[in-house]
Amino acid sequence: MKRLSRRTVLKSAAAATAALAYPFQVQAQAEPLRVGILTPLTGAGGNDGPRMLKAMQAVFDEVNKSGAFGRKIEITVEDDQTNPEAAVRAARKLIEVNKVSVIMGTWASAVTAAVAPVCWESKTFIMTVSGADPITLLPHQGFLVRTQPNSRLQGTAHGEFVASLGAKRLGIIGIQAPFAIPTKEYLEAVMKAKGGAVVSHVIYEKDKSTYRSEIDQVMREKPDFLYLNGYAPDTVVVLRDLYRANINLGKFCQSYAVPQATLDTIPPEVSEGVMTGQPSADVEGSAYKSACDRLGLKEIDGYVAQATDWASLAVLTVAKAGAATGVALKDTVRKVSQGGGTKVYTAVEGLKALAAGKEINYEGASGPCDFNEIGDISGCRFRYMKVAKGKLEFLKLV
Amino acid sequence: MEHYLVAMGVTAGIYAIMALGMNVIWGMAGLINLGLVGFFAVGAYASGLLTLKLGWPIVAGVAAGAVAASLVGVAVALITVRLRGDYLAIVTLGFAETMRIVMSNELWIANGTDGLSGIPGPFRQALGPHGFNLLFLGIVVAATALLFFLFQRLDNSPFGRVLRGIREDEQVVQVAGKNVVMFKVKAFAVGTAALGMAGALYGHFTSYIAPDLFAPLLTLYIKLSLLAGGLGNNIGAVVGAVLVVFFLESTRFIVPFIPEISAVQGAALREILIAVALLLILRTRARGLIPERLAQVRIPPSVPASLSLKP
Repeated sequence: MKRLSRRTVLKSAAAATAALAYPFQVQAQAEPLRVGILTPLTGAGGNDGPRMLKAMQAVFDEVNKSGAFGRKIEITVEDDQTNPEAAVRAARKLIEVNKVSVIMGTWASAVTAAVAPVCWESKTFIMTVSGADPITLLPHQGFLVRTQPNSRLQGTAHGEFVASLGAKRLGIIGIQAPFAIPTKEYLEAVMKAKGGAVVSHVIYEKDKSTYRSEIDQVMREKPDFLYLNGYAPDTVVVLRDLYRANINLGKFCQSYAVPQATLDTIPPEVSEGVMTGQPSADVEGSAYKSACDRLGLKEIDGYVAQATDWASLAVLTVAKAGAATGVALKDTVRKVSQGGGTKVYTAVEGLKALAAGKEINYEGASGPCDFNEIGDISGCRFRYMKVAKGKLEFLKLV
Repeated sequence: MEHYLVAMGVTAGIYAIMALGMNVIWGMAGLINLGLVGFFAVGAYASGLLTLKLGWPIVAGVAAGAVAASLVGVAVALITVRLRGDYLAIVTLGFAETMRIVMSNELWIANGTDGLSGIPGPFRQALGPHGFNLLFLGIVVAATALLFFLFQRLDNSPFGRVLRGIREDEQVVQVAGKNVVMFKVKAFAVGTAALGMAGALYGHFTSYIAPDLFAPLLTLYIKLSLLAGGLGNNIGAVVGAVLVVFFLESTRFIVPFIPEISAVQGAALREILIAVALLLILRTRARGLIPERLAQVRIPPSVPASLSLKP
């Protein structure tokens, strides 16, 4: 009894001294923020997962270095193998063994849909890049947000961009994925409104070594512009085949389909003139620029930008809520991601504003990150780029 | 930690059911079926659709999943009846991929690549996640035990003997007057029923299935289970499945302790370890940890007098 009370006295004395000396030292005793990064490091998404992982780690490093967070950040990385079965096993390990309060980084829609029930049942927050419309319609009780615009936002914006380039007869060629049909429908609606049309739509099987016959199929209706709706590994094959077939049409694809890392591996003449789109933040915002600087890159693709935003939002939400649990993240995320507070563009900037007692509104590298009640982002700008001599060049922001 | 072990126990049980089913086809009858995941998909989709859309009870759904997979198994067996060895392997692999592509593209069947979500599980709401996992562990262990018992009986019966005969030499069995085609079809029917049941159980456990789930990765894990445990015997199948899940999961805990490697390299290393394990097993214990025990046929040292031919 005596020993116990001596300890308590010493502890409280030390804590009191520390509290007086450095306000943040008290918080350092607080429960750490346990983050589970569950992203594809092998399999079909193995191209994108490592980039997202780096972006998240860079943000956490920056936060740790700044000392403004006051909690330890414990990161556990697991490979989702781009396979729902393997991903569920990995998620269970993250939740039950590492006790993470947030899982971020799932990429394939099927993986997210498989992991999401495990998350909401155990009150773990999940942040994802999966764009399939049904994901946010799952009964996730608020435990899920995604930074990727849904098919409606993307299809409509991309359609307007393509039409603004003078395309009248759009040909779509892409993989079979949950976003394939909805994207086509929204593109169709926009093209029709602009006096054009979607003249052909071909869905191909991923992992093929050539798409020559699919290209012939899409070219049969003589489109004057091509919308490539695939991921990086297959889009590269399509671009090569288009080059070989000497088809010199305007081409548009998602920024993640031709990230700089992929462009570096193909001859510049193959990728010349390809245009890319990605969700983006305000022009005046510095989030995109800081995300690039943090990673030492000139341009970043949509996935990297979104990964940056998950890490920043998780840190800011926990700082705002004062608790590092999944429930706290679920209840508080919208208090830092949107609203009338001071606009902040990085996690560290936001932490400083919070410490100063301000309300904040995080504006991310991938967009304003304002979430509606089902966890979809409620609107964003789009950043368009063009490939010239194997490098991505900024075109415009809409 | 214990909740995690329970969930992995369920996974191991479902792997074991698949390994048991696979053992009838591949281990006993020697028919190399790489389309495992296709039958798993049939079971999962049949049960998922029936319970979700038509409101069937889960038990009926699982039974229907097993029956549906079995019927498809019979059809595949009849189509491939003249194929053996590598040829059969490649056609069955093609069957599984066909299933996956059909389910991805025929959106009207089960939402295509969006998958089926919200598949009911027994007392999922009432028990909460941890209670539900425990209950399901019980169900899966019971199902594994039941199948083990049934397949053990099968293995020791004349039926099992004929299957082993087909595996060793089809023509000899034919000469002995057995209808080889019929036996092969029956082996497929029984084995794929177990695969379908595993698929149905998996769907009810995780509540979500999608075509991406039915990639060949799972087939390889089960193949590895059988090779590790010992092809051709049921104990080996169960032990192998548990070992594979243990191995897959334990590498998660070991890899982070290896210094100087990044998470990406760690992930690749896990896959390499699995390949190395397979190679080591094939090199050092080609017949698995628990080799199949065959009845020894004793050749008497000399011919008894009563049987010797009299001049």
